[in-house]
Amino acid sequence: MAGRGASRLIQAGFLAGLVVVWYLATTRWGVNRLLLPNPVAVYDNLSDILRSGEFIGDLETTLGELAAAFAISATGGITLGYLISRSRYWIEVFEPLFAAVYSIPIILFLPLFVLFFGLGPASKIALGASISFFPIVINTIAGFGHVDRLFVTAARSMGASDYHLFRHVLLPAASPVILTGLRMGFTTALLSIIGSETLASLAGLGHRIVHLAEAMEMARMFAYIVFVIAIAVTLNAVVSRLEAHGKRD
Amino acid sequence: MAIAVPKRRPALRSLAQRPWLTRLIVIAVLFALWEVAARFLVDPLFLSPPSQVIASLDKVFDTRGVPAALQLTLFELTVAFVLAVAIGLALGLAIGLQPLVRRSFFPIVLLLYGMPQVTILPLFILFFGIGAASKIAFGVTHGVFPVIVTVVAGVQNLKPILLTGARSMGASRWQIFRHVIFPHMVPSFFAGMRLAMSGVLLGVLLAELYVSIAGIGYFTTLFTQNFDPTKLLGLIGVLAAMAIVLNAVVRRAENHFARWRAE
Amino acid sequence: MATSEAAIRVRGVFHRFGDEGEQRFVRALADTSLDVAAGELMCLIGPSGCGKSTLLNIMGGLMAPSAGTVEVRGQPVRGPLPRDIAFVFQENSLFPWNTVIENIELGMTFQGVSKSERAARAAEALAAVGLKEFAQHYPAQLSGGMRQRAALARALSLKTPILLMDEPFGALDEQTRMILGEDLSVLLAQSRKTIVFVTHSLGEAVFLADRVAVFSARPGSIKQVIAVDEPHPRRPEFVTSAKFTSLRNQLYGLLHDEIRKAVQQSTAPGAGAEPA
Repeated sequence: MAGRGASRLIQAGFLAGLVVVWYLATTRWGVNRLLLPNPVAVYDNLSDILRSGEFIGDLETTLGELAAAFAISATGGITLGYLISRSRYWIEVFEPLFAAVYSIPIILFLPLFVLFFGLGPASKIALGASISFFPIVINTIAGFGHVDRLFVTAARSMGASDYHLFRHVLLPAASPVILTGLRMGFTTALLSIIGSETLASLAGLGHRIVHLAEAMEMARMFAYIVFVIAIAVTLNAVVSRLEAHGKRD
Repeated sequence: MAIAVPKRRPALRSLAQRPWLTRLIVIAVLFALWEVAARFLVDPLFLSPPSQVIASLDKVFDTRGVPAALQLTLFELTVAFVLAVAIGLALGLAIGLQPLVRRSFFPIVLLLYGMPQVTILPLFILFFGIGAASKIAFGVTHGVFPVIVTVVAGVQNLKPILLTGARSMGASRWQIFRHVIFPHMVPSFFAGMRLAMSGVLLGVLLAELYVSIAGIGYFTTLFTQNFDPTKLLGLIGVLAAMAIVLNAVVRRAENHFARWRAE
Repeated sequence: MATSEAAIRVRGVFHRFGDEGEQRFVRALADTSLDVAAGELMCLIGPSGCGKSTLLNIMGGLMAPSAGTVEVRGQPVRGPLPRDIAFVFQENSLFPWNTVIENIELGMTFQGVSKSERAARAAEALAAVGLKEFAQHYPAQLSGGMRQRAALARALSLKTPILLMDEPFGALDEQTRMILGEDLSVLLAQSRKTIVFVTHSLGEAVFLADRVAVFSARPGSIKQVIAVDEPHPRRPEFVTSAKFTSLRNQLYGLLHDEIRKAVQQSTAPGAGAEPA
C-alpha cells in the first residue's frame, strides 16, 4: 500500500531534518558551543574514543557491575520466587508486598548503599541487584504460581516425583513468564547501574559522562552518550532476542 | 488431592484466612531484624535501627532547608506529572488519530521510550540549571512516553462497529471524537497516567539526587558524608512515603474511571 | 398492509471489494434489484457470503455501490440518512462506557433531537422493549438478549420510518431468538415501520416477514421473492401451522443448492467466483 512507503519517507525526513537543524544551530545560528556541540565534532570524538580504546576501562567496570548485579538478582529472584510459589497462601502474602516495593523508585536508597559500601562498584552492584530482584521474583512467582493445576494432577497421577514434576512440568510451563522477568530484570539492572554511576561513582560509563559534563567537554560527552545508548540498545536487543528464542521452544 | 486436613489451632486458622495479617507480621519481622542488626551487629556509622530513625524524624525536619527541599520536590513532582499527562495526551491523540502520522512517528516514540534516559541527565542539568526546571523537565521526559503509548493504544483498539453505529445515527466528526473515541480511550489513558506517575517519580528523584549542591540531593550528600544514617534513612523514608502516596492516589483514580471495563 | 409505494428502491446494484487481480478481490453483489414497500417487513435470506449484509449497508448509505442506484423515499442515497434509517447490528454496538439510557440518549444526540425531548423518548423506547428497570445498567451487566433489546430501543427512539436490521438475533441462543422475534412482531404491528431484516434462519424469516427475498450464492443476486400472507402480530401458533411448514420448505428448496455452492466457494482456492 502507498501508506507504508509514505510513512518511511516521513520518518527518514524527520530524522534527517533534526540532524540538519542540529548542524545549522551550532554552525550558522550561533547556538553556544558550550551548550550544544557541533555534530561533526561529536562524530570526531566518537571515532577517537573507539579507535583509542579509551572506553574499555569504563566499559569493563560497568559491564562487570551489571553482570554481578544480575547474577545475584537472577539467582535470588528465581530461587525465592520458586519457594514462595509452592504455596497459594504465601503467594498471596508476598506478591502484593513485592509489587508495592517495586512501585517506588528504589534508586532513592542509593545514598544508603553508598554510605554502607562506599563509592566503589560494591554499592552499584548492591543497588542494581536490589532493583532488578523485583521484576524477576514477581514474574517467577507468577510463572510457577499459575501453572494449570490440571498438568500437576495429570503428572502426579502418572507417578511423577517432585524432581520430575519440577523439571518436566513446572519449569517448561513457567519459563516464558520467567524469561520475561529476566529480561525486565536485566534492563532494569542496566539502567540502575548507569544511573548510580551517574549519581555517585568514581568509575564506569555513567561516571565518565558526568566527569566530561563537569569539565564542559561537550563534544566528547555527547560522543560518550551516543556510545552508551548504543551499548544499552544493543544489550537490550540481544536480551530480547534471547527471551523470544527461549519462549519459542 | 483431598486428604484430611489436620485441625489447626484457632490462632493459626485465623491467620490462614487473613493473608493480609500475615503480610503485616512479615513486615514487622523484617523491621525487627533491621532493629536487631542495626543495634547489635552493624557499626552505627553505617546503619541505624528503625526505632531511632522514627524517633529522630523531627530532627530531620528541623534541619534547616529540609522542609523547603521536600516541598520543592513535591511541587516538581506535581508540575512534572501534570505536564507529562497533558503533553502525552495531546501527542498521543495527534499520533493515534491519523494512520499516516501514527505509522511515521509511533516507531520513533517507541525508540525514545526504550532509551536509557539517565545517560543524558548531566545534559539536562547543564541545559536547565540546578533549579526546579531541570528536575521538572527530566520528570516530564520520563513520564510522557507511557501516556503517549497508552493513548495511542486506546484510540487504536476501538471496535469498528462502534464507529459504524455512530455514523449511521448521523454523528458529526466532532461528536464521534467526543462521544465515542474519547470515552473509549479513557481507561487506557488512566493506565498510562499510573505509569506516568512512576516515570515522573523516577525522573524527578534522579535529578534531585544528582544535583548535590541544592535540594534533596544536597541533604542526601550531606548526611552521607557525615555518616549520619539516622537522618539519611529518615529523609529517604519520607521520600519513599511520598512516592507510595502519590502512586496510590493515581491508582485510585484509575480504578474509579475504569469502572465500565468489566473484564 | 403494505401500500404500493416503495420505501426503498434498489436498481441494478453491483458491488465488488478490491480490484481485479488483488488477493482480496471479491464480487459481492451482481445485478440486484428490489423494491421494499412502505410498512412491510422484508427479510433477506441467503447463504454465507451472498452479499445480503452488503446490500443492507448499501441501502442504508453506509457504503456506495460499485454500480447501480438506491432510492429511499424517492431520494437517491448518498450517505447515512439518520432521520430516515436506523440500524440494528448483530455485533454489540452499544457503547460500553455508557449506561443503557445514556446510549439511547446519545443516539438521539447524534441525530439531532433536542435535549428536552430525549428523556421522554428514551423512556418510551425502553418501555416498548421491556427494559425499563435496566436503564441505569451498563451493557456488560446485561445478557446478550437484553443488549439487543437495548440496541433495538436505541433504534426505535430515533423514530425513523425505516429500520435496517442485520442479523440482530444471530448471536443469541434459539430460545431468546424466539422470544425476541415474537416481541418484535408485536412491536411492528403497532408502529408500521418499513423493516429490512437480514437473517440466516429459515424459521425466523417465515415468522417475521411479509416477503422473503432469497439470495443466490456469491456474487449475490435475488433468486426469488416469496410472500408470507399472514397478518401481524404473528401468533406463536403460526409456527406450527401447515402454512408455515410449507413456506419454510419452499425456502429450504430454494436455498439448499445455493448453500452448497457457497460452501464450495469458500473451500476452493482463488478469488471470487464468476457468475454462472
